Amino acid sequence: MLTPMHSGRDVSASPLVQSGENESDGAPMPGVDADRSPTPAVQFTGVSKSFGSNQVLVDLDLAVMPGEKVTLIGPSGSGKTTVLRLAMTLEKPTSGDIKLFGESIINDDQGLPLSSRDEARIRRRCGMVFQQFNLFPHMTVLDNLVLAPRTVLKLDKEASEELAMEHLRLVGLSQKASAYPGQLSGGQQQRIAIARALALRPEILLLDEITSSLDPELAGEVLDVIRNIAHVMNITLLIVTHEMRFAREVSDRIAMFDGGRIVEQGSPEKIFGSPQSERTKTFLQSVLNH
Amino acid sequence: MSWDWSYAVQILPGLLWGVWVTDVVTAGCAAIALVGGLGIAVVASIGGRVSRICVRATIELFRGVPILVLLYFGFYALPQIGVTLPPLTIGVLVLGVVYAAYCSEVYRGALITIPSGIRDACVALGLPTRVVWLKVLLPLAIQKSMPALINYVLVLYRQSAYLFAIGVPVLLTQAQVAGYQSFRYLEPYTIAGLLYLLLNLPFVYLLHRYRLAHADANA
Repeated sequence: MLTPMHSGRDVSASPLVQSGENESDGAPMPGVDADRSPTPAVQFTGVSKSFGSNQVLVDLDLAVMPGEKVTLIGPSGSGKTTVLRLAMTLEKPTSGDIKLFGESIINDDQGLPLSSRDEARIRRRCGMVFQQFNLFPHMTVLDNLVLAPRTVLKLDKEASEELAMEHLRLVGLSQKASAYPGQLSGGQQQRIAIARALALRPEILLLDEITSSLDPELAGEVLDVIRNIAHVMNITLLIVTHEMRFAREVSDRIAMFDGGRIVEQGSPEKIFGSPQSERTKTFLQSVLNH
Repeated sequence: MSWDWSYAVQILPGLLWGVWVTDVVTAGCAAIALVGGLGIAVVASIGGRVSRICVRATIELFRGVPILVLLYFGFYALPQIGVTLPPLTIGVLVLGVVYAAYCSEVYRGALITIPSGIRDACVALGLPTRVVWLKVLLPLAIQKSMPALINYVLVLYRQSAYLFAIGVPVLLTQAQVAGYQSFRYLEPYTIAGLLYLLLNLPFVYLLHRYRLAHADANA
């Protein structure tokens, strides 16, 4: 069975992992009592992002606590996916700061751009699953899972294969280890992609519309895997999805995005039961009647 | 003038030697073209603006100047500035480098068409740049480029006849020599043509097989 922090992970590289209690560097977050609360797993502070003249995020503040499951909902183009891509360092913010477990992934302590080495070290605590799976098509399933543990965690062949098989079992696909991605259904490929991300033992998992390119029946098997992970692992989840039932079930908190801003956030009960914002009401009506 | 079988048999060993030299030239050129082209494509995609401009200029130079001009330059002009190379070396280098320029465009195209999501996945997995290139991008690019590359090797095989111009004993040269000696050109050129055609077939077969396998993989 899986144990969340496991020998393969370089714990020494991340002193904040065990700290839990106040390790923030003298700058308490707005609205959070720094003496009592643990450091957020993901924290966006005043983050804006533009692509050319198109501003997709406007002065965003968002903190996700360790172990918390947060789902971002909202119409297409409202900036949800950009939030995940920024946290994964796939994009750089136009302004503002992003921290993973209290460490900025933008600037170092002196405010200079982070070295690629430090960026890689911090980013390692974060994993991501994409809408299009993005498995390596020329490698078998096993090789897809083994590559990162071997080269990033520096495990030997045996240990990395064992780790890979353990995660294939977690997503129920250990019998597909020698298949190529092209031989699998979309749902199976996405489960492999989840296993590949989890094999690196991330503390934060970013799920970017992971069922959007799947038929409903295949989407179900992928969501089951996530439900299971959310249940057995103490992992922080930041989810972008259009599956409202799933969002309601799995999330501790839901944030409604519109026009690059969070227009409303709260518990699933609050957002789905008694939404305050007109935008949320209209959006939920449109997707739930869909 | 009619076909003379005994003459045909008499010149065959010389022509077969020409086939062997043609094979060696093709193999040498192909090695330079395939590996060099990959190198050029990688430099062009990871290097900065300056290296991209240099690569672009080199590619245009070798694609823009006729092969015969380059061969004559190597054979007649280089010795005058103190660089004397054997004709075989000049021929293999010229054809190899010209086709490296062509192949680099194939690789470059393949690298561009690798979905951006694959690169995103590499970042998300924290793979070091070296691993991203060696394990992911290059294997994918080579796989995508394969049909076009096999096609270029096939073209190289025929283009090796240019080396006749600087006296490398490729198949065409051997046919020409046999013809000079006896003033009979029908047999040498007919046999040479047939041999060129015959020796092309393995490549054609290979290309066909690859396309079939590729179609399966994409299905």
